[in-house]
Parts: sequence; C-alpha cells; structure tokens
Amino acid sequence: MKRLNEVEILIVEDNRNDTEMALRALNKNNLSNNILVVGDGEEALDFVFARGKYAGRDKDARPKIILLDLKLPKIDGLEVLKVLKSHPESKIIPVIVLTSSKDESDLIKSYRLGVNSYIMKPVDFDKFVNAIRDIGLYWLLLNQQPG
Amino acid sequence: MRYDFFSEGCYGDLRNGVCCKLLVAAFLLLLPLVLLSRDNSNENNHRDDSLPVIIAASEPDYPPFCFVDKNGNPAGFAVDLFRAAAEAAGYSVDFRIGVWEKIKQDLARGTIDALPLVGRTPEREDMYDFTMPYLSLHGAVFVRNGTTGISSVEDLRQKEVVVMKGDNAEEFVRRENITTKIFTTPTFDNAFIKLAAGEYDAVITQRIIGIRLLEQMGITSVEPLPFQLPEFRQDFCFAVTEGNDSLLASLSEGLSIAIANDTYEQLHYKWFGPEIQERIALKDILRNALYITVPLFIIFSVMAIITLRRLIKKRTRDLRNEIAGHKQTLELMHKQKLLLNEMEKVAKTGGWEYDIDQKIVTWTDGIYEIFAVQRNSFDPSDFDRNLNFIDNEDRQAFLELFTDSMKTGEPYDIELRLHAADGIFKWVHMAGRTELKNGKVVRMYGNISDITQAKQSHEKLKNSEEQIRLLLNSTAEGIIGIDTDGRCTFCNQSALRLLKYDDERSIKGESILQLIYDKHSDKTAMPGAGQGIIRAIEKGEGFNADNELFYRSDGSSFISEYFSHPVKKENKVVGAVIAFWDITRRKKDEEELKSLKDGLEKEVAERTGELNEKVQKLNRIQKAMLYMVEDLNYITAELKEEQQKLERSNKDLEAFTYSVSHDLRAPLRSISGFTSFLMEDYAGKLDSEGMRLLTIVHDNAKKMDTLITEILNLSRISRTEMRSSEIDMTALANSMYHEVATEEEKRSFSLRIKKMPPSKADPVLIKQVWQNLIGNALKYSSKSENKRIEIGAEDNNKEVIYYIKDAGAGFNPEYTGKLFGLFQRLHTENEFEGTGIGLAVVKQIINRHGGNVWAESRINKGATFFFSLPSESYYSIKSKSHEKVE
Repeated sequence: MKRLNEVEILIVEDNRNDTEMALRALNKNNLSNNILVVGDGEEALDFVFARGKYAGRDKDARPKIILLDLKLPKIDGLEVLKVLKSHPESKIIPVIVLTSSKDESDLIKSYRLGVNSYIMKPVDFDKFVNAIRDIGLYWLLLNQQPG
Repeated sequence: MRYDFFSEGCYGDLRNGVCCKLLVAAFLLLLPLVLLSRDNSNENNHRDDSLPVIIAASEPDYPPFCFVDKNGNPAGFAVDLFRAAAEAAGYSVDFRIGVWEKIKQDLARGTIDALPLVGRTPEREDMYDFTMPYLSLHGAVFVRNGTTGISSVEDLRQKEVVVMKGDNAEEFVRRENITTKIFTTPTFDNAFIKLAAGEYDAVITQRIIGIRLLEQMGITSVEPLPFQLPEFRQDFCFAVTEGNDSLLASLSEGLSIAIANDTYEQLHYKWFGPEIQERIALKDILRNALYITVPLFIIFSVMAIITLRRLIKKRTRDLRNEIAGHKQTLELMHKQKLLLNEMEKVAKTGGWEYDIDQKIVTWTDGIYEIFAVQRNSFDPSDFDRNLNFIDNEDRQAFLELFTDSMKTGEPYDIELRLHAADGIFKWVHMAGRTELKNGKVVRMYGNISDITQAKQSHEKLKNSEEQIRLLLNSTAEGIIGIDTDGRCTFCNQSALRLLKYDDERSIKGESILQLIYDKHSDKTAMPGAGQGIIRAIEKGEGFNADNELFYRSDGSSFISEYFSHPVKKENKVVGAVIAFWDITRRKKDEEELKSLKDGLEKEVAERTGELNEKVQKLNRIQKAMLYMVEDLNYITAELKEEQQKLERSNKDLEAFTYSVSHDLRAPLRSISGFTSFLMEDYAGKLDSEGMRLLTIVHDNAKKMDTLITEILNLSRISRTEMRSSEIDMTALANSMYHEVATEEEKRSFSLRIKKMPPSKADPVLIKQVWQNLIGNALKYSSKSENKRIEIGAEDNNKEVIYYIKDAGAGFNPEYTGKLFGLFQRLHTENEFEGTGIGLAVVKQIINRHGGNVWAESRINKGATFFFSLPSESYYSIKSKSHEKVE
C-alpha cells in the first residue's frame, strides 16, 4: 500500500501494447519510478479518489501526472477527465491526454474539460519517446504543483 | 223714243183706205230713212274680224224680232239691235239659228254667249242675266173668228189654251193659272194652224207677234180679242249666261250707245216701217175700189164715221192704256239709268266718247265722279284742260299713245296717275277704242276706271312680297318652292348658293327632282330619288330626310337635310316648299366620332382581352406556384429526410473515421513500435538480411499510418464546417513555403512570390492548399536542375486565379483529367513518393469554396497549377445569397 501512495505517474490505458510502449518510452527518459497502469476509467477514478480496490490508499497522495487514453472501456477518457477536473482534490492533477489521432473534436472537448496537455501516440516510436520526454520533463520536474 | 208699233194691232184690224192713205204718206216720208238704215245695216254686216266674237242665236219664227230671212240668214229687229249694241261695245257677233226651246237651254249651259230677245220673267232670273229692257210687248188672246163668251181672262178658265212650249206665254198661263187645260206646241205656227183647224179654244201670245204670224201664214180665220192681258206684259232684253258680268256690262253699254245715237230709232223704222210698205200692195185694190165704189163712198163714209167714232173711243181707251204702259217703261228706263250711274259709282268707272269731227267729248257720270267735276259746270270737250288732270310724269306717255291710236286706230290701255279737281291723287286705268270709217278714225270711245285702291293693295302686296323675299333671302337654309309637277316656282339666295346657280332664272320652272338629284346618263332620274319631296306633293304630308345627296350645277354633291312641306289651298295640295341645308360637315363629324368610338370600343375590348389573358395567365401562374409550393413542401420534407439520413451517415462516418484513426492505428503502432524494439534489443542477434526485412516492416507500417492520416484529413475537409475570414494570400503562401521547404530546399530553390489579392476563405483549408501545392512543386522539381518556383495571381473581377509554376518534371497533358483524382498518380513511387491524395484534397477544398482547379504542363517542362476563388465582393454576394437560401 505504501507504494500506491507513492505513485507519481498514473497511466490509464487498456491496450497492453501501447502501455508497454509508453512504459518503454518513459523508461528511456528515466521516468520509470512509481508508475501505475490501470486498464479502464473506473479503476482510474477509484484510484484517484481512493475507493473501490484502492480504498485504503491515502487520498491525499495524489499522482504527479496522469497519462489518459481517451478510448477506454466502462468510463471513457473524456468522462474521466470531466470527473477529475470537476473535483477540487483532483482538479490540480495535470492530465495529459494520449491520443492516436489529432481528431479535432476530441482535442477541443479535452481542452474544454480542462486537460493540461496531449500527446499523439505516433506510429514512429522515436517520436513518441521524444514527446514523452518533453512533456514528462515539464510536468514532472519543472512544473511544481502547489503544496 | 217711239213705240208706234203698239198701234199696229189697230191697223191690222182696220184695213181701211184712210189708214192706208195715212200709211202711204208716212211711208213716203220714211222711205229715205229706211234706205239709209239699210245701208247702215249692210255696213254693219261688214264685220271686223279682229274684234272679239259673241256667239248668239236667233229663233226662226219670232218675226219681226227674230226669224230667218229668205236667204236663210237670221234677221229681225232684235237681231239687228243686238248686232248694233255688240258692235258699239267692240264685238262682232256670230249668229246661230235654233228652236227657242233649244237655244234657251244652250244659253243656260253657256254653249252660246247671248240671246238678243229674251223676255224677262221671274222664272228666268236664275238662269240668265239681263240687260235693261229695250222692248215691252203685251199679250193677247187669239180665237177663231166668231168665238163668243170670252171677254176677259177669267172667261178662259174652262177653255183649252195652247201656247208655244217654253215661251213666256206658257210661263204666264201656268203662273197665273189661267186654265187647267194648257197645251203646248213647238212653235206658234203650229198652235195657230191647230186653232184654225178647230182644235183648242185659244192661243195666247204677244199680240204683235200673233198678228204678224197670222198674216205670214195667211190665216184669216183667227183674230185677237180686244182686251189686254195686264199680267202678260213682257219686257224684252238681251240675255247672257248667268254670271257673265263682263259681257253683260259690254252689251248694256252697247245698248245704251245704240239708244243714244239713234240706231235704235233707225232699226225701229226699218223693221216696223216695211209693214206699211207691204200694205202698199193693197193700194191697187183700194184704188180700184175707189173707182168702183165712189158712189158707195159717201154711204160708207157716214157708216165709217159712225164706226170710226166708236173706234176712236176704243182707240182712245187703248191709247190711255198704252200711255200708261209707256210711262211705266220710261220709269223703268230711268231706273236702269240710275242703276247704271250707281253701278258706275260703285265700280268707280265711267264711259267716254270722243267725236273727232265734232270735237265733242261725252262722259258718263262715272267720269265726272272720277275727275270730281260737275256735269253742269264742266265741259269735257276741252281736251287740253282734261290733260291737266294727268300727272306730269304720265302725261307725255298718254299723249303719245293717244296720238298713235288716232293715227293707226289701234286700241290702247294705259294706267295713269291723276290729280282730280278736288286735289285727290288717283290711279286710273284708261281704255281707248276707235271706230274707223274709210280707214280713218272717226270716233274714239272707252272708259276710265279708278284703280287707286287696287294699286294701293297691289303696292301693299308688293311690299309684303318684298319683305317675304328679304326674309327668305336672309335665311341660311336653301328654300325652294315647287308646284305639283315638281317645277320650281321660287327660290331664295341660299338655295342658289348651295346649289351653285348664279341666277334664279336657271332654276325657276325647271324640274327640281331632275336638277338636284343624281341621274342616269340619259338625264332620267335614279329610282327612288326625291321620294320625300314627291310625298309632300302627292300625299300632302311633311317629310324630313337627312341622308340624301343633292347635286350642284357643277355636278358636285353634298349631303342634305331637308324638310318638305305641302302647300295647300282650300284643302288641295298646290305645291310644296323645301327647306334644305348642307350637312356634309356634320355627317363627317358624326362619322369621325363614330369611328373614334368604334376604335375606342375596339381598344377597350382588346385591352380587356389582354387583361383577361393576363388574369388567366396569373391564375395559371398562381396555380403553378401552388403546385410548386406543394412540390417544395414535398421536397422540403424529402430534404429533411435526406438531411436526417445524411446526418445519420455523417455520424456513421464519424464513428468510422474515429475507429480508423484509433483502432486501425493501434496495431500499426504495435507493428512499428515492436519492430523498433526488436531491432534495438536484438540488433546483435540479427544478420543484415534480418535487419533489412524488419526495416521494410517498419517502413510499411509508417507508410500505412501516413495513408490513414491523409485519408482522414480528406474526409475531415468535407465534413468540417467552413469558417471564412480574409486571408492575405501573399503572406500565407510565403509562410507555407518556409514551413514546407527544408533548409536545403530553401537554399537550392529560387522563389518568386508576386503580390496577390487577398481572398475570403477558410484559412485552415487554404493553408492546406498552399501546403500541398508548394510541397508538390518542391517534390517534382527535386530532380530538375532548374529549381525555380513562381507564385502569383490575376484578378478578373469575377474571380481571382492563383497559380504556382515550377520548372520540374511536369506531366503528360493527356492525363490532366486524372490529375486531381483520389489515389491517382502520374509518376511511379520510385520516381517520386506520394500517396495520390494531395491534389484530391486541393480540389476538394477549392470546390468547397466555389472555385476551380486545373493544371498545364508538358513532360520535363515544368507545370503550372491554377486555382480560382471568387473575388471577395463576388464571394460575399454569393455567400450572402447562399445564407439566405439556407
């Protein structure tokens, strides 16, 4: 349980291959510590709000960043985003949307719901690694959250 | 005046020597006169053929007044006297012979003019007009010798009396109811023959005539009775047909003259003198008797004296009666004279006579009256003084006429102005006739009539006629009078003017119908011409017409309106008056008005028709529009359905593209990513062939990703809403070049961007256009030595045509049509990389903006790509109208 309270990066992704590639990319950028991967939106929200199977977790031990896929089983990414950004305790957590397309409607919806940034999941893995690096650095290292 | 013949009856009775002696003496004394009168009568028989003729008739058996002489000619006292009177009045006489009953009827009928001897009886007053009487006879009763018992008229009551039919004796016996047994014979001869033969009891006739007839016939067995028939005293006159006043006046005048100048006296001697001459035949017998009976003479003388005394007594009584009758006749004559004077006064006329040898002028009272002078103090024979009565102006003309007549014997008639002695001005008519002897005028006579009144009324008439003429001429209407034959009797100035005649003489007396109506070439009238005018004459009805043509003298015509009025006298049509005027102008105006009206009506009808047509057209259009609205509603409904369908398919498409961009990519990413991991993690365990194959897998995965990306892009272009704003095309093209071109390309290419007009379009999409076109230009120039790109535009007001020109590989113009198709490529993958989507995207974008794309090129000669966008103004208008429609 102690580890759960130390989760720095929450990855919400149902595609295992994509998860593996994301983890590899994070790893390549030395950001592989305290990463939790959940497979659907419900679980993600359960974690953030310390409920369900994460009920024992410290609610205040919030992840430093959430990488959120939009296409998720049960509760989809936009819904999750909407909940997160509508609760004051979760609102402050930077959420980076991972998307396989630049589909404008998704992006616009995301920004309206208060997403902090987004990363295209490129077919070219190198580009993905570069994107993770740029964003991870900013949000994990430079952008200090308020107390 | 002598009436000796009244005593003839006693001569007839006596037949004794004393009487014969006396008669012989008287005859000797009268012989020259008788001879003279015969001469005169011969001379009188010499008729002047130039004189007007009176037709008269004489009876054959009324001696000595009217009878037929041995030569078969009419003769007798009355015949001669009539001739003399007629001649004095300036007539000659044509005598015919006929039985009294017939000639009496002829006169009543007017077949003859006059009879010389007609007894004036009340019965005849209604049939004839009579002159003054010139002879009075007394009737007598004739009986057979020895008849007794008849001594007065009353004794005839039971007797058979015979008279000549139609004689005044018949009238007398019937009028006085002398007897109930009245018989008639055609002549008195018959009556006497029958009486002598023992038939009847008495004959009643004029005493003198009876005696004369008996002598002529040699009947001695009949004698007149001595008593008078006081009621059968007959006055004899000349008679004319009733009403023939002028002849009556002339004969009266002639009779007066014959009496005045002793012709009467001479004729009397002539006809009653020879009675004595005839007795001269008895002279021898008497002489013989004288010689033989001298011894008896004394005895007879004594007896005769006794008888004579008795006779004288009787004679004296008879004479007294005769004298009484004579006096009566004188009184009558006087009355006649007075009547003549009265008549002259009433007629204001008088007679005159001028005895040229004696230089004596005789006037009747009428002329004294006219000159206002007194018979006892004024001598009409002073010719010069008489002339002074004549007005100065007329005097010379009268003198010339008078002098001429004196020389030539020609009669004259003249109207003169007179100043009577009392200063009164008069108009007179003077007639003068002459009597010639041996070609020389010996006597002149005539009459003078005061015609002042007639003159004045004539003058008045003339004035009123003048006024009527002025009135007629002052009217504008033509007025023509016609008689029953349709001939013009008068016309006014307007009629002449309208019909174009200079002078009324060219119209007067002419047939108006022929003058003013159209006619055939042979001058006969057209059928029906002038019916209205003819009707006025024939039916006596007024008529009005306004549609007939009147022809002028020059052959031209005009439309006339006329009124024809019949002129009637005593309910009989004697002609007509036609008032007419020219209405050609009026007719023309009426026709113009009518045609104007017709035109207007026609136009109104046409316009109404047009209007109706338009209304119908509008109705049709309205109906069509209703159908269209219905269609539109239907189409709208369909469209709505289609839109819903479209929306559904759009949603489906969105879901599809979403799925493609996410679900299709995930395996690609895995292929690509894990291939990369394999090559990284197992690099040392793979040979070069293994590495090459992995690289192919990796590259194809990437290529597929690119394809997916671009297809999604293309689909997005057609789906996403356009947001137009003004774009600085020069700047956009420039920035796109710098975005698309690599650093190396920027160095190797020469770029020229001309100043381009701005455009109003979706900036994101137009940016894509420039991106693709510039990318193409760079790509297809990459293998060319001449690396040059030119960008520019042309504005033709309607649209702006943008172009980008390179000097690269170009393409075969045959395939220009394929250039903008999806996945269409004109170069192999080996020559130039590409997906075949870029130009399809460009076309899609430009078409969505209402523009066109096209390209020109030749292989290895470079290519120029054009795209057009509507001009900003044009676009805005189009856009606005587009909005409206939506």
